[in-house]
Amino acid sequence: MTETILRVKDLTTRIGTGEAAVDAVNDISFEVSRGETLALVGESGCGKSITALSVMRLLPAAVHIVQGDIVLKGQSLLQLPEARMREVRGSAISMIFQEPMTSLNPVMTIGRQISEALRLHQNAARDSLNKRVVELLDAVRIPEPQRRVSEYPHQLSGGMKQRVMIAIAMAATPELLIADEPTTALDVTIQASVLKLLRDLQRDIGMAMLFITHDLGVVAEMADRVAVMRGGEIVEQSARDEFFSKPRHPYSRDLFNSVPTLGKRGHRLAVVGDDTGPLDAVVSPLHSRESGDPELLLRVKNLKVYFPIQKGLFKRTVGYIKAVDGVSIDLPTGRTLALVGESGSGKTTVGKGILQLIRPTQGSVEFANEELTHLNSAELRKRRSGIQVVFQDPFSSMNPRMRVTDIIEEGMKAQGTERDAAKRKQRTMLLLEQVGLRPEHALRYPHEFSGGQRQRICIARALAVNPRLIICDEPTSALDVSVQAQILNLLQDLQQRMGLTYLFITHNISVVAYLAHEVAVMYQGRIVEHGNVERVLNNPEHEYTRSLLAAVPHVPELQSL
Amino acid sequence: MIAYIIRRVLYAIPILVGVNVITFILFFVVNSPDDMARLYLGDKRVSQEQVDSWKSERGYDKPLLYNETAKGLDRFTDTIFFTKSVGLFVFNFGPSDYGRDIGYEIQQRMWPSLAIAVPVLILGLMINITFALTIAFFRGTYLDFWAVVLCVALMSISSLFFIIGGQYLVGKLLHLVPISGYYYGFEAAKFLILPVIVGVIGGIGSGTRWYRTLFLEEIGKDYVRTARAKGLSETTLLFRHVLQNALIPILTGVVVVLPLLFLGSLITESFFGIPGLGSYTIEAIGNQDFAVVRAMVFLGAFLYVIGLILTDISYTIVDPRVRLN
Amino acid sequence: MIVPLLDIKLGLLLTDALIFLLLIFTVAFAIYVSRTPHLRSQWAHVLHNRAGMISMVVLSFYLVMGLLDSIHFYPKVESGEGKVVYSVQLDSVLDKILAPIRIAVEKTYSAPFATNLYAKETVTVDGVETRIYPRLKHGGSHLDDPENEKSADILSHTLQGAFKGTLVWLLLAVLLVIILAYRNKVSLSQIISSLMRGKSVTPWRSALFTLALVVLLIGVCAELSVYYHVFGTDKVGEDVLYQSLKSIRTGLVIGTLTTLVMLPFAILLGIMAGYFRGWIDDLIQYLYTTLNSIPSVLLIAASILMLQVYMTNNADQFNNLTQRADLRLLFLCLILGVTSWTGLCRLLRGETFKLREADYIQAATAFGVGHFTIILRHILPNVMHIVLITVVLDFSGLVLAEAVLSYIEIGVDPTTNSWGNMINSARLEMAREPIVWWSLAAAFLFMFVLVLFANLFSDAVRDAFDPRLQGSQ
Repeated sequence: MTETILRVKDLTTRIGTGEAAVDAVNDISFEVSRGETLALVGESGCGKSITALSVMRLLPAAVHIVQGDIVLKGQSLLQLPEARMREVRGSAISMIFQEPMTSLNPVMTIGRQISEALRLHQNAARDSLNKRVVELLDAVRIPEPQRRVSEYPHQLSGGMKQRVMIAIAMAATPELLIADEPTTALDVTIQASVLKLLRDLQRDIGMAMLFITHDLGVVAEMADRVAVMRGGEIVEQSARDEFFSKPRHPYSRDLFNSVPTLGKRGHRLAVVGDDTGPLDAVVSPLHSRESGDPELLLRVKNLKVYFPIQKGLFKRTVGYIKAVDGVSIDLPTGRTLALVGESGSGKTTVGKGILQLIRPTQGSVEFANEELTHLNSAELRKRRSGIQVVFQDPFSSMNPRMRVTDIIEEGMKAQGTERDAAKRKQRTMLLLEQVGLRPEHALRYPHEFSGGQRQRICIARALAVNPRLIICDEPTSALDVSVQAQILNLLQDLQQRMGLTYLFITHNISVVAYLAHEVAVMYQGRIVEHGNVERVLNNPEHEYTRSLLAAVPHVPELQSL
Repeated sequence: MIAYIIRRVLYAIPILVGVNVITFILFFVVNSPDDMARLYLGDKRVSQEQVDSWKSERGYDKPLLYNETAKGLDRFTDTIFFTKSVGLFVFNFGPSDYGRDIGYEIQQRMWPSLAIAVPVLILGLMINITFALTIAFFRGTYLDFWAVVLCVALMSISSLFFIIGGQYLVGKLLHLVPISGYYYGFEAAKFLILPVIVGVIGGIGSGTRWYRTLFLEEIGKDYVRTARAKGLSETTLLFRHVLQNALIPILTGVVVVLPLLFLGSLITESFFGIPGLGSYTIEAIGNQDFAVVRAMVFLGAFLYVIGLILTDISYTIVDPRVRLN
Repeated sequence: MIVPLLDIKLGLLLTDALIFLLLIFTVAFAIYVSRTPHLRSQWAHVLHNRAGMISMVVLSFYLVMGLLDSIHFYPKVESGEGKVVYSVQLDSVLDKILAPIRIAVEKTYSAPFATNLYAKETVTVDGVETRIYPRLKHGGSHLDDPENEKSADILSHTLQGAFKGTLVWLLLAVLLVIILAYRNKVSLSQIISSLMRGKSVTPWRSALFTLALVVLLIGVCAELSVYYHVFGTDKVGEDVLYQSLKSIRTGLVIGTLTTLVMLPFAILLGIMAGYFRGWIDDLIQYLYTTLNSIPSVLLIAASILMLQVYMTNNADQFNNLTQRADLRLLFLCLILGVTSWTGLCRLLRGETFKLREADYIQAATAFGVGHFTIILRHILPNVMHIVLITVVLDFSGLVLAEAVLSYIEIGVDPTTNSWGNMINSARLEMAREPIVWWSLAAAFLFMFVLVLFANLFSDAVRDAFDPRLQGSQ
């Protein structure tokens, strides 16, 4: 029997006081043992981060623990005075956070930030301190640790910063590490290496780990046991293998079913708490989309987008950042092409280049047999209705000062597709219905909607001008998986009904596997591999594609499917 | 870095030329030199000869922009615009309308101005940061609330009140220091204490409140949470992490005004009879000495541009993230 | 324009016209806000903020004074031949209201509530020349034995004034309760009990309490000022309270018209620089860096000096003293506007720079929406909070600046009533014994109250409109 490190018992954490109070965490209990990883899984707002901060006693001012106990190796943390609790933080319990970009002090060298933690909890002498810092950096596999000691956070990449955070957390060899979505902000290849690092460190020092995530793939890679949270409660706790073979709680099953995979192609994804019908009914096959040889809608040839680098006294252009460096795409009507790549690969710039939001440096964009790059802005304006776009961030993609109806009508007015005001209204209502919203939503403002609903409005806005091609720039990556499932279902429905063509820009391989017909893999401004989805995912040819696919955490398919 | 600084210095030239054009328009186009002469000579029925001699004594008798009577390049150089502008650009300000050399006056009067402005700046900075840190430490408490209310109240009091009140209380009622006047050398101290104190108090309200906002903004950032998770105490957190980050906007805000300290404070100096550049300017305004006001406008603009360049440089020194390109 | 019924001829100063233009703008904006849900909810934040509500009550007192002082007319003067002749001197409605204290002019200084002059005079009593403090012509002239009667008399008038004030307050309070009950469709008793317990969402209790204080003070002052000089008199014997009240308009004009003057430039140039970038941005940046690099006091000084020269040399164009002073006031607003637009312009440029990249603007571009429409529909509404915050924030700074500028004689015309001029003329008397403090005190007090509540109000506005502050709450 391994020793229990952390025991959380009947914990309730409340936000606010009085009538407006909400229990963010409601009567939850769990334990983490030495050398074990407990994954706390849930969607945004389920209370998983509040749970972590409760354990650290680092809750924001308006949030209070109202009930329960948190026991670390027999010592109740809630009884400790603040000064004693400080000794626990960073030594017995360490924590790493989601945003490595902002989690480090920007004006302090990383060496000092690590040694600060060392000095606090270990009475190391000054000269040995520096040695320890280098050792720690080495332990988190940062190359050239000697040199890195005197560098500042901005000189490191995101993955490196997260490694520094881990080094700080490891400084005093903690009994328990709390990792709050530590890889969510990172690219998959970097995520894979950070996850491996955490596993290795855990094996070496035998610490317990409370791993908070929303990603079932990451859970499968990291967890020994899984606790599923929903609405502040833990709805299910089970061992990893048991969880992945037979999830007990319906919510857990819904989560599984809403994850897009290659195996679910042609089926609707399960959605949680949506009014589109009972769960059993939704996993029904859609009509086959394969048909004859469709006509070519978009042809991009050798597209290049360069940004000049200016230097010196007279700002002479000394070189170019080649954001997009010779991309060619053929996209037939009614098909979905996924453009996959990690951050900085230039995939978003390709989208903007096609839309002519950024004028390409070179190359041609031919839409419906018409060259767009030579058009002046007035000519371009007339042809804007053909290609539309849906953006990633549902919060910044709509003018907060406009009502939904005005947002949707804007395109119709600008393009003159519907000149009669009454007809515009009518069409707006129809569009809202098509994307699964109700007519009364038309008079509301964007902030009154959830992320998924906003994305629906954005789709309605794009549809308003009868586009033939929609460029979807990571439309689901800011959403929870169950909401993502709704949007993916909607996009598929619309494609079938209207014969839409999608250029789907994403970093999420499972979405690609589920949705796309063809896939193009981008790396450093170029397309390194291009082909049929099943071929590319099953038999990748390019080395980069292989490493990318290998890094993707794999969600085991449920037996019941 | 060096290329950047050179470019900034070069950019300063068109700005100073622009300033020069503005002052030229203000001083010579809106009103002709004749108008100024009449006002200066004070009499409505002043004869044209008097006006002409006044103008020629001060070099205002040339055409404004283009001299038809001159030859070659002189057509452009033998004008008020050119002669007066060139003087400014080489810091040869010439004589004032009353005949005294402006350059010499500026050199003399600069020091008393600095003797007030520098202590006010340093003391004010120290006091405001200390207060703001203390308030930030007690954030969300009643102390915080009432301190902010006090700051707002202090901000709402006219600076004239502090000066007049200080003179009355310290000088007249308590007879601690002389109300106004100045000696050179160490004797100056007793004349400087009151204006310095008044200057510092006048700035406490807005300064403390502004720094408090900066501190609170930093406290809300992610890296502070990281530092807490390390187990740092609240004081270490404030002094080591928050202060270091908040000092960047504070210091660079100070650097901008550093060169302008030379100009001194108009109000304080004239109230306390300090013979600095501030009171010099006030006197010039009172006497309608256009040459001095013009020189001070140019000097002020020049110092401001220097301040901007220094700010950019100071960013690279205090903020490791900034590399100038 | 002659108004037949009132028998007056209306006169309109340039600043009056601008003030009423501003008033129309404000009312139009208020109507727009009340019809736009998201703006209404943000303004509701200001109303629900206790400090915001209290300051609005206090500020509205200043506003009413300022507006009353902005309705000008030529009073009728009697002429022998039965013809209607109008005076060449402009009066305002406020002058009419304050007539009792306006005409109560003494010989020279007198202290607050004094019955005798501040300075000794030589008078001949029964053929003997003696130096005494002569009785005032107006202040306390109704008393036979000031030394013994004065305190009791002041007390009784205070009580009378307080009583009248309370009556007015009760009237206003009842009116408010009735309106609230009518609008919320609940019974009067329910409204009263919720008001008394301070449970209403809008802090009406605090507002009523502040209103009570303001009305009581006005009542007491009004009652007393008929008999005494509440704040004393100045060098030429003018009532200081009258001067302070007349100065309100100057303060408000400088605080608001300056902003009105600079707003179009700041908004247009700032948004253009941020939106179009490239050489337009370079040009606009050059423009505001150049203007900004001239220390503003010096620029103001130079401009005012030049205005003086111009006015002296073209004296025939400014025959009317009031109009001349008004023109100088307007010019001061203009030049203050020139020196203060750069800050807002830079803020707007930066914000537009960021907004331009926002997805919704990219989406609008993808719809082929024109630049002008994008600026008007998408950018302007999303930077208005910055404009609003700057406007309220600048107000108090401008009021304070007026005093300083008038002190160094580059402010308003010496004949204009302003707190700066009051301070300027009073400071010379600092050396007197006993000290003449009341002019200074009155000017500082009136200015302090205005600036303090303007600051509190701007805090409330910032809390409601600054998205950064909303994030941290």
